[in-house]
Amino acid sequence: MARLGSPTVLEKLRQKILARVNGKTIISITNGTDGRTRYSQAVFQAFVEEIEKQGLGGKVEVKSTGCHGFCEKEPIVLVLPEEICYIGVKPEDVSKIVSETLVGGKIVEGLLYKDPATGQKITKESEIPFYKYQNRTVLGNNRFIGMESIEDYIALGGYSALAKALFEMKPEQVLSEVKDANLRGRGGGGFPVGIKWETTRNAPGEPKYVIVNADEGDPGAYMDRSLLEGNPHSVLEGLIIGAYAIGSHEGFIYVRQEYPLAVQNITMAIEQAREYGLLGENILGSGFNFDVQIHRGAGAFVSGESSALMTAIEGRVGEPRPKYIRTAVSGIEEKPSNLNNVETWANVPLIINSGADWYKSIGTEGSKGTKIFSLVGKVSNTGLVEVPMGMTLREVIYDIGGGIPGGKKFKAVQTGGPSGGCIPESFLDLPVDFDELTKAGSMMGSGGLIVMDEDTCMVDVARYFTDFLSQESCGKCVPCREGLRQMLNILDNICDGKGKEGDIELLEELSEVMRDAALCALGTTAPNPVLSTIKYFRDEYEAHIKEKRCPARVCRELITYYILPDRCQACLICARDCPTGAITGGKGLVHVIDQEKCTKCGACFEVCPLRFDAVVKLSGESVPPPVPSGTKVTRRR
Amino acid sequence: MRRGRSKSKFVGMRLSEEQSRVLSRLQQNSNRSKSEILLRGLELLSEYYSLGLDQLPLNLELRNLEAEAIHHAEALRQIRKKEEAIGQMVQELGNVDKIIDKYRGSKKALIQILLDIQAQNHWLPKPALMWVSERLGVSWSQIYHIATFYKAFSLTPRGRYMVQVCLGTACQVRGAPRLLEKVMDVLNIKPGETDQEQRFTLTTVNCLGCCALGPVMVVDGDYYGNPSAEQIKQTVVSCE
Repeated sequence: MARLGSPTVLEKLRQKILARVNGKTIISITNGTDGRTRYSQAVFQAFVEEIEKQGLGGKVEVKSTGCHGFCEKEPIVLVLPEEICYIGVKPEDVSKIVSETLVGGKIVEGLLYKDPATGQKITKESEIPFYKYQNRTVLGNNRFIGMESIEDYIALGGYSALAKALFEMKPEQVLSEVKDANLRGRGGGGFPVGIKWETTRNAPGEPKYVIVNADEGDPGAYMDRSLLEGNPHSVLEGLIIGAYAIGSHEGFIYVRQEYPLAVQNITMAIEQAREYGLLGENILGSGFNFDVQIHRGAGAFVSGESSALMTAIEGRVGEPRPKYIRTAVSGIEEKPSNLNNVETWANVPLIINSGADWYKSIGTEGSKGTKIFSLVGKVSNTGLVEVPMGMTLREVIYDIGGGIPGGKKFKAVQTGGPSGGCIPESFLDLPVDFDELTKAGSMMGSGGLIVMDEDTCMVDVARYFTDFLSQESCGKCVPCREGLRQMLNILDNICDGKGKEGDIELLEELSEVMRDAALCALGTTAPNPVLSTIKYFRDEYEAHIKEKRCPARVCRELITYYILPDRCQACLICARDCPTGAITGGKGLVHVIDQEKCTKCGACFEVCPLRFDAVVKLSGESVPPPVPSGTKVTRRR
Repeated sequence: MRRGRSKSKFVGMRLSEEQSRVLSRLQQNSNRSKSEILLRGLELLSEYYSLGLDQLPLNLELRNLEAEAIHHAEALRQIRKKEEAIGQMVQELGNVDKIIDKYRGSKKALIQILLDIQAQNHWLPKPALMWVSERLGVSWSQIYHIATFYKAFSLTPRGRYMVQVCLGTACQVRGAPRLLEKVMDVLNIKPGETDQEQRFTLTTVNCLGCCALGPVMVVDGDYYGNPSAEQIKQTVVSCE
């Protein structure tokens, strides 16, 4: 491939690609990391072979794409342009799809999405409730792009924003467009991107650096991975435009090594872009030079913090430093360095192409555009959802997410990862944007929405996050290192039934110190999970401390397993699965748990057949005395 | 050659004064070379032995020779072993060299280099780290700082199969602690440990980003969503 020497040549290439695919049927298969956990690779192979076998090679194109968002139902096969959406496709379904849909023009009913509310089968992707309420301006292109194809991206108008910026706009104009659009950083803080760019642009010192932060460390958030896997060129294009606006000629992409496919795809994208003349010297013949390197993160949550990340790029340990001077002014090797998150960069080409006014038409007063959330936990439709800012939590969780599975009751939703907080049911109608979430005592973070139902203990959740953070704290500053350890101690005690009066107040006091005195954002936001759970679920803390009771029946030291004698049907399953042999009672006899031997692992609770439902968890109530051994079961009809 | 110094050795054998006198007399009288005299001497000796004139010293001599031979063989074996180890290390360090060269020996690439070494060996052997320190000119303590700071690195050998249990938030609320307990029960090791046969290493991770499957166990890159104790056992057995 010869380097593209001008925007006209790029446009000609686009027309050539479009002519090539014109009139073809496209099979788009979700083959990202989450798809591959369910054998999507085999589905893809099967399609390639079957199409070959049936001689459809000239009419059909098979694409191995990144995640489309609906992870719960992957692998998903999308037949375009008809938009027929088959869910949960197995390799053995492939020949049927090819012969019935591609050859016969019929729909394979068995593989369609069935709306649980109406029982109706839905053919078109856009009519599935999960997709219907979304606005997928950033993530939506994933389904049209083969993960390894730069030409698929170009066909969709890819790199036209770059051409526009380089040839029709001055760097200042690009900057003011982004500023005007009021794009805010998607990585967590929500800092206005335009202002950050301007700071780096105006800061003294050369060279200037631009960086993509793909160290997506928040557990439960994976939208950045999906973008890097499924549409790496959109991130790259945004980065090059940003570099042009800032006046930078060297960039870095910092990506977690836990995301091997993302590393692979972005590496390939960079090589392709160089080959096509979209990266390197004299980009598109404009005279602008820019190149980028990949830096893999080696697994440390704190290294996603901007100053820590830049230290890591220098080849040293990724620990944060005091930020009296912002990294935008003094970052990598004390040069001005502009860092933005993956999703932020991916928004840039959209703004340049469609303009700030279009961008501002989406979202709320203070937060413009869309945001990708990863909707996970106790929710029916797990997946990545992209919605305009300002949609309510209820709409996201119930209309798109399909609510809580198993008829359980909603308890809270955790946003913002370990630095965020838990939001209770009373806030479900909260419009989600940067400012509203902060007001509610949580934060946007990178966009993880972890739904929790009535079976989740909020003290345990606070303990979980504090444990996570105490392991991830780099230990450089005392408030964070020691504060987290002490908080964890107290929370451990509360969960073990050793909580004391005054513990809650002590937690609050410790939180305050950390908020004021910790060195970096990890420390200052670390108390959020504790404070927000105390704020909204104080009664649960008090139940643990005063009544030695865990209302959600989770904390092991505070619960007892008990077999209801009148429900037990003596099926022997629990007795067989008990690892300590604590369950006695033979054939036809009521099973009894020996509380002395019981380690409360919960195996009996898990295996007791649903139709009997004889094993229960008790907390805060006295355990009834065991029935005399040899008691016969009451048979039920 | 220096003159005037009497030779006290004959074909590697230390001679007494008496013996060297006899030897030089023989040499003068017979006008033969040293080796000829030696061969002749050996001939006489074998005749002497073959006649059975002196049984005892022969056995003794043979035993001595045998002991000597065994001793030399053992020394040789040790040397070969060391040679092999050095060869292996040279090869390993050669691989490390390749990695360092890939990053043009840049100090900035230290973490990337360590990641590649980790990927190649599944752990960071000490000689490799020392070599990296030597080649990049980075202090040993800085390398150790990095190797212990990041979760991706291991300073002890890992098992042939990596078993990971995800403890991300989504998996946590879906029952990851219980899954971890089950896996620990089956493998009989704790997180971070390797079993005695070096088959499995168990680790926990903070989110693999496949939350729809949670709670998740990964064995050597294969994902399992909420496996039962029975399924875990089967998976483990099928690993060898």
